Amino acid sequence: MNFMTRSIQILSLLLCINQVTMAQAPSRITIKGTTKDTLGNELAYATVMLLNPKDTTLENFTRSDEKGSFSFKNVKNTAYLLKISYIGYLPFQQHISVSDKDINDLGTLRNKPISNELMEVVIKTAKAPLRIRGDTIEYDASTFKVPPGSTVEDLLRRLPGIELDAEGNIKAQGKDVNKVYVDGKSFFGDDPKAATKNLGAETISKVQVYNEKSEQSKLTGVDDGKKEKAMNLELKAEYKKGSFGKMTAAIGNESRWAGRGNYNKFNEKEQLSFIGYGNNINQTGVNWEDYGEFKGQNTFGSQDNGDFGFSQGGRYYMMGGDDAPISWFDGRGFTKNYGAGTNYNFDNKKTKFNVSYFYNQTALTVDQFDNRQTFLRDTSFFNTDTTSKTDFRGTHNISTRLEQNIDSSNILIFKASGRLGNNNGRNKQIQVFSDENNTPVNNLNLDNTNDGDSWRIAASTIFRHKFKKKGRSLAISGGYNSSQTAALDALSSSNSLLFGAVKQANNGNNETQQLKSSVLFTEAISQRWFWETFYNINKTSNNVNRQVSNPENTGLRIDSLSVFYQNNTRYNRIGSSIRYAHEGLNASVGLAAQQIHLYGEYSRDRDEPLLVDPISRSYNNFVPNVRLGYEFSNHLEISGSYEYGVSEPQLQQLQPIPEVNNPAFRYIGNPNLAPETNHSMNVNLNYWNPANFANMSVWSEYNMYDSKIVESQTTEFTGKLVRVTAQPQNVAGGTRFSTGMWSSFPIIKTKLSMNLSGNINFDQSPVFIDASEAVTTSNGYNLRTGFSMTPNKKVIVGLNGNVEFNHTEYDINQDLTQNIETHSADASIKWQFADKMFFESNFNYALYRNDRFSFTRNISLWNASVRRLFGKNNRIEVRLAAFDLLNQRVNITQRASLNYVTRSVAPTLARYFMLSVSYNVRGYENKIKKNDWW
Amino acid sequence: MKPLVFVFAFLFAETCAQAQENLTPPEGKIRYVVTHNWTKQLASLDYISKQRKERNAYMWGGSRSEWKSYTTLFFTPSESKYEVSEEKVEDEEMGYAGRKEMYTIRRNFAAGTMRDQIDVLGQTYVVEDSIRPQGWKIMNDLKEVAGHLCMNAYREDTIKKQRITVWFALDIPNSAGPERLCGLPGLILEVDVNEGAVTLMADKIEFRDLPTEMTTPKKLKGKKITETGYQSVIRDHITEKQKNEEPWFWGLRYL
Repeated sequence: MNFMTRSIQILSLLLCINQVTMAQAPSRITIKGTTKDTLGNELAYATVMLLNPKDTTLENFTRSDEKGSFSFKNVKNTAYLLKISYIGYLPFQQHISVSDKDINDLGTLRNKPISNELMEVVIKTAKAPLRIRGDTIEYDASTFKVPPGSTVEDLLRRLPGIELDAEGNIKAQGKDVNKVYVDGKSFFGDDPKAATKNLGAETISKVQVYNEKSEQSKLTGVDDGKKEKAMNLELKAEYKKGSFGKMTAAIGNESRWAGRGNYNKFNEKEQLSFIGYGNNINQTGVNWEDYGEFKGQNTFGSQDNGDFGFSQGGRYYMMGGDDAPISWFDGRGFTKNYGAGTNYNFDNKKTKFNVSYFYNQTALTVDQFDNRQTFLRDTSFFNTDTTSKTDFRGTHNISTRLEQNIDSSNILIFKASGRLGNNNGRNKQIQVFSDENNTPVNNLNLDNTNDGDSWRIAASTIFRHKFKKKGRSLAISGGYNSSQTAALDALSSSNSLLFGAVKQANNGNNETQQLKSSVLFTEAISQRWFWETFYNINKTSNNVNRQVSNPENTGLRIDSLSVFYQNNTRYNRIGSSIRYAHEGLNASVGLAAQQIHLYGEYSRDRDEPLLVDPISRSYNNFVPNVRLGYEFSNHLEISGSYEYGVSEPQLQQLQPIPEVNNPAFRYIGNPNLAPETNHSMNVNLNYWNPANFANMSVWSEYNMYDSKIVESQTTEFTGKLVRVTAQPQNVAGGTRFSTGMWSSFPIIKTKLSMNLSGNINFDQSPVFIDASEAVTTSNGYNLRTGFSMTPNKKVIVGLNGNVEFNHTEYDINQDLTQNIETHSADASIKWQFADKMFFESNFNYALYRNDRFSFTRNISLWNASVRRLFGKNNRIEVRLAAFDLLNQRVNITQRASLNYVTRSVAPTLARYFMLSVSYNVRGYENKIKKNDWW
Repeated sequence: MKPLVFVFAFLFAETCAQAQENLTPPEGKIRYVVTHNWTKQLASLDYISKQRKERNAYMWGGSRSEWKSYTTLFFTPSESKYEVSEEKVEDEEMGYAGRKEMYTIRRNFAAGTMRDQIDVLGQTYVVEDSIRPQGWKIMNDLKEVAGHLCMNAYREDTIKKQRITVWFALDIPNSAGPERLCGLPGLILEVDVNEGAVTLMADKIEFRDLPTEMTTPKKLKGKKITETGYQSVIRDHITEKQKNEEPWFWGLRYL
């Protein structure tokens, strides 16, 4: 048959020659040939490709027939690279030049078989990513597992097709390997074993084995046909290793200063970072950007506290956490701050580990002026307070987290954290009481100091098991928390109407221990239906010891104010829910039964007789939960939920012994309190347009209380002395409704965008004033809008406006209605006015108003700075900044609630100038950032 | 002669899933595991600053920047259909079910036509056009994917600025492939875009008749557009996002 094909081919070739000699090079031709192997066997159905010889672009392809012959009909007559591939054979390549005949017969083309050993390698390691390039075999070292500390020799022993003898001599596909290169270079002379015996297996990413021309042919340049096996060890990519960091030092007028720095070192699996800061410009911690670089891959933590309950599905990541050293400042007073920390992350696919330590301290000095009017049924009174306060807080935080994928179906998460804190301070206050006509009747001077230490440890662990059946899983968690606070307070108060000062020393000690555990079982009933069942148990014990003594009476205990109480809370909840999830519809309905048991004992001091019968309360509730979400096809999403919430009273709210820290105010608990229960509903709507990124969201939330815990206030007038007693009480009723929207959209593509948002709150709260119930209604309205303009790459301008209006009515006295207003407008510019030179400025105007108090205050704040980048890669930044150029900054808060309205004004850091120099290893961007938000 | 060839090949390629001798063009179904790597996708954008990319890689790198999904390819000797699968990869299974993306790629190789139904930027398009050569460059490497010996090829997408490397099976003579990739002498079983930004790997190949799967409704819902028109919609969006210094793939499929 072979012979026959051959004969026909030759015959047709002869026929062609005749025609071709008579024509010029034709524009379209037929290319044909026969594929065979080196033994002369035809290769049936081989893949035959015509490639562009310049860049190997595929131009045409076909398959050979069962006899191995192929033809390309009517193809362009141009140069090609012909390529034939066939299973078990090395690809065959041949250049074809422009043909002067209509039929270009290439005759017989022979593919070389892939050697037996090589093919075996391919077959045996079907799953291993291994590549053959021409005559090179490439092994991906990472897929061949060797124990840590192994040498390359150990690795090679695991590679199929490679053999090592006792001395470490290497054979690849049965032939000796005489050369071993590392990254293409000779490694310590010519002994191939030098590299394999000395290099660690973990440093290698790829092993390549290929034929190398003999030394002789390399020298002479003449291929003598002799080939030697050679091996190249490719080292792992270094680019992932690195370090970065930055440092800033700043000084200003009026002894203002700031310094901060961070340094990070990382490789493929590990991240190590250090951070430190210090300043007296009210930066109490680090900013979000620095925090992200400090925590690295651990910035966003999964929500894995182990308190399983009703779930919606989906995955959430949270940034921060309780102990994140993020700068937080409420705008009042002056602070001096220091902090430093270190963080280590490890992550390979199996293990994620993090350990982090941080210390931070803040010393605050604040002066504050408060005005307050309190409304009673038939009268009202005023307080004018002047406070001078110092407060020092220092905290050590250490935390660790381990996530271990034991195998594909089991995972273990362990978390632990510790916190050690110290705080002390002094609070000096002058309170002036005035009657309803604003005539001063009495004043009170307070001078309190406090000194306290606290610690807390928390540990939790979660174990998750996935069953063989898809969708079935079990998770078990356990947690232990323990904390202690010890504080020594010295209180001193003097009253203009009484003689001498009242002095009191409080020695407080608070211990809490909590043990908890949860179980969650998930079952996939079908592809779309899921069933979840959970159980939570939690036992908390709390000891509070408050010993109050009179320092002027040889430290004799003041019995009426001292108390020692022990509370135990037991919490059990079992619940189940059924969930549907398919094509954008996610819905779940669930019900839980929960029991909260509280037990409390009260005595004067530890080991003393009980003052009252132990308090023992049990609350049993059924708690329903409904969630619904639907995604429409046009990027519109609607979701809603209903929950019944039960929150037990705080322990302080239950204790029957009065707490008195000054003669004008005392707090007494209520042992008969029932839990707060409420129905809460919410509906959310989200829309976004992926084409222009216009988006809008609208939300509404409604809360209705079956039972609410409110502070009942009783005001006693003894002569000109005012004394307020507060006691928590259950009240039926109380509603809160809030709704809001947020929207942003482009007006001119890439140049001008606008955002608009607003919210409305309606709040009706029951209040108890002098043992009778009343209702306070508070409505709040807020509207914000902003524009962002980018006329060109060098300028970004922002304009924002905000209107806030709060209307509060007291049904005890309609005349007292309060209208509180805050308006503000803000303009900002970022301008790159020359290469590496930037100007940034913002101006803010705010108006605070309360007509009833005939209070109006305007504050204008103006900040401006210029900065310039220097050095190689713009690593140095010098910045001159002016803060509050108009010297007007002050903190104002206004609030109307329950039966009072209050306003406070606190000075804070006003005008100052600062010069700062920063060094960033990575370099600063020589442009203004358009998007700061991601 | 033929038996001899068979024996010869058997010796060297005994366990190859499909003996090349027996090449009746197959039909069947392939499940691909798609691995998306957000850090590498961001790293592949040339208009985002080095600082931002490095910062992103530092905070989101490692195993957390990856997520996996499944897609399905149905193929017959003359046609193919590719779509996003509803099935979830076990590790990603958190119970929330989003709306299935409209992304159905239909190729008729016999007629040389395509009818792709794709959601782009909030609009469903039906891309109707003839199949054009995708400019594949054939390389010399061989590799085994899902039990099939594959050859290497790559192409450049100049609009999305992607280097798309694929491995096509020498023993499955079909020009189909996942996503909008096609036109090679063998079925595409593995894809890598920009060195790991997205990878697709055939993990389940079933050779069976497809009696119902290939039926196409006569009328497809969506706005009709040509391939050139479709490419310009994408080009315009990328240009706009580039001006805004935002990743273009927030509103658009990366591949």
